[in-house]
Amino acid sequence: MNVMKSVDRIVRSNGVSLVAKVPPPLPSSCFFMPLKRKSIGYHWQLYCCSVSNNNSDKSCYLTLKDEELMRQCQMTSFKASGPGGQHRNKRESAVRLKHLPTGIVAQAVEDRSQHMNRSSALARLRTLIALKIRNPVSLESYSPPPELLQILPQSSTLRTSDSGPQIGPNNPKFVSGMQALLDLIFAVEGSISDAAKFLGMSTGALSRLILSDDSLWKAVNELRVSKGMKSLK
Amino acid sequence: MLKLRLPGLSRGVCANFRIPNPCCYSNSVSSSIDVKPKVPLYLRPPSFSASLSELSMWHKWAKNLASSVGSTFVNLDNGPDSTLLHRELNWLLQDLIELQHHSEILPRLESSNNENLDVRVALRAPLEEIYCVWRQRIEERRPFQYVVGCEHWRDLVLSVQEGVLIPRPETEMIIELVEDVALNNSPELAQGFWADLGTGSGAIAIAAARALRSHVNGDAGCRVIATDLSPVAVAVATSNVQRYGLQDVVEVRKGSWFEPLKDVKGELSGVLSNPPYIPSDDISGLQAEVGRHEPTLALDGGASGINDLLQLIDGVASMLKPGGFFAFETNGGKQCKFLVDYIQNEKPGRFRDINIVSDFAGIQRFVMGFRL
Repeated sequence: MNVMKSVDRIVRSNGVSLVAKVPPPLPSSCFFMPLKRKSIGYHWQLYCCSVSNNNSDKSCYLTLKDEELMRQCQMTSFKASGPGGQHRNKRESAVRLKHLPTGIVAQAVEDRSQHMNRSSALARLRTLIALKIRNPVSLESYSPPPELLQILPQSSTLRTSDSGPQIGPNNPKFVSGMQALLDLIFAVEGSISDAAKFLGMSTGALSRLILSDDSLWKAVNELRVSKGMKSLK
Repeated sequence: MLKLRLPGLSRGVCANFRIPNPCCYSNSVSSSIDVKPKVPLYLRPPSFSASLSELSMWHKWAKNLASSVGSTFVNLDNGPDSTLLHRELNWLLQDLIELQHHSEILPRLESSNNENLDVRVALRAPLEEIYCVWRQRIEERRPFQYVVGCEHWRDLVLSVQEGVLIPRPETEMIIELVEDVALNNSPELAQGFWADLGTGSGAIAIAAARALRSHVNGDAGCRVIATDLSPVAVAVATSNVQRYGLQDVVEVRKGSWFEPLKDVKGELSGVLSNPPYIPSDDISGLQAEVGRHEPTLALDGGASGINDLLQLIDGVASMLKPGGFFAFETNGGKQCKFLVDYIQNEKPGRFRDINIVSDFAGIQRFVMGFRL
């Protein structure tokens, strides 16, 4: 795709003057996401690939590469007051990412460069997508997807030699499995014992898996409390 | 200009450690060619130590000093508040203590756990010096980056010291423009000479070199020339280039703007710069960290701030090869528009795709384009 023209488009939608005004042709495999004028900042969003246009399969956000996911986001820094640039020494490296298709916002302030804050915010965005975006699961013909099998303990009878060693919460691949696990737990309306049966493991082993990650644990408990069940401890 | 307010205890250490203030510094370096770059704190050997209780005592003292600032600096000159200073204090600790001990030591400083307080902690500088530099940070408003001798910028950690502009987060985007606009549009630009004018710490030159390298196989044909008038900047940029193993790709030359580039006239694939652009009258009102400590040479762009930018536009018209790319950082919308008008009126038919690009805070920050 002609990036120069897409930058023209970003620049224009940003309310900025420019000299060359050629509307970008839209590649057939992509669609362009209209941007709101009132928002400020450099818009990263150039094109959304067609995969993410398919609303029936939202789980694909997590399969996008970092730069693909980044393109669906609007990135701003926090402070817009004052002239910035050479005038400032405030380490205003904080980053706020808004994932435009879902409206989910992730931010990072604790790192020392904007670049690193962007990576942290993007990792956080993946976790938030996994926690908040639910995909429908058909229980009649359920079999756990490979990304879910990867996070299950070796004791699960559904694991195969292809599933590899168990992936823990510190591995970036954990979030995809976490999303699939939450999809299942939501489908069985919060029942850990029912979910455990679908995963070929004991209720205790599944509880331990849920407790291994704080954000997963909280999401499951929120669901259980809303269904009148007691929290996992 | 700079007052030395040192505690009696650490006077000796402090005086030895202290970097001469910027005025003396620029005088002393203009007469000597050999400027020895300082080693940033995080790269010094951990050859000092303190007990955990001594370190905790320092930490409490430093935190209180930061808290006492409240919003005084914000009201005074829009400087840092306590929250930011506390964050800087954590970063100082991260640089002071070896990485493998962070998870064990850092939480202890925040807890009231009294076990093993006499355990020794290895430090990269004596604790007396750390008392001293934190006092400088708060009382003299010495920039944090000069205190620890480095700045994290993009995925790089660059050495900085008095006499060299601290690279700003806004400037990180110039590299995005190189990758997303220049190289995506004209991949052949990855080969050939690029220039970073007024390189300071070498930030743009080093990050650009890494971006160019990733667009071709290996280093083949990628060259970046970084120029700077200041001998301190030349020394610091050279050492940063070496630390990233780019001495075969990035060459640092001393001189003003295009002056050291006569041998590549009309051959440059790209020209990048974050030149001084602050109007002279605004210099005295800058926040103390910037106005009192950073080099005026890198900040003051003349009466309207645009002197150097105009020189750069004049220069790129003849220095770039046809199809070559340029991107310059500016003071904001007013300068951007002025430069675009200048290009259209004074350089008709010399450039194409002239654009103004906003930074992440929404301020029109960069002017970029291609030579016809």
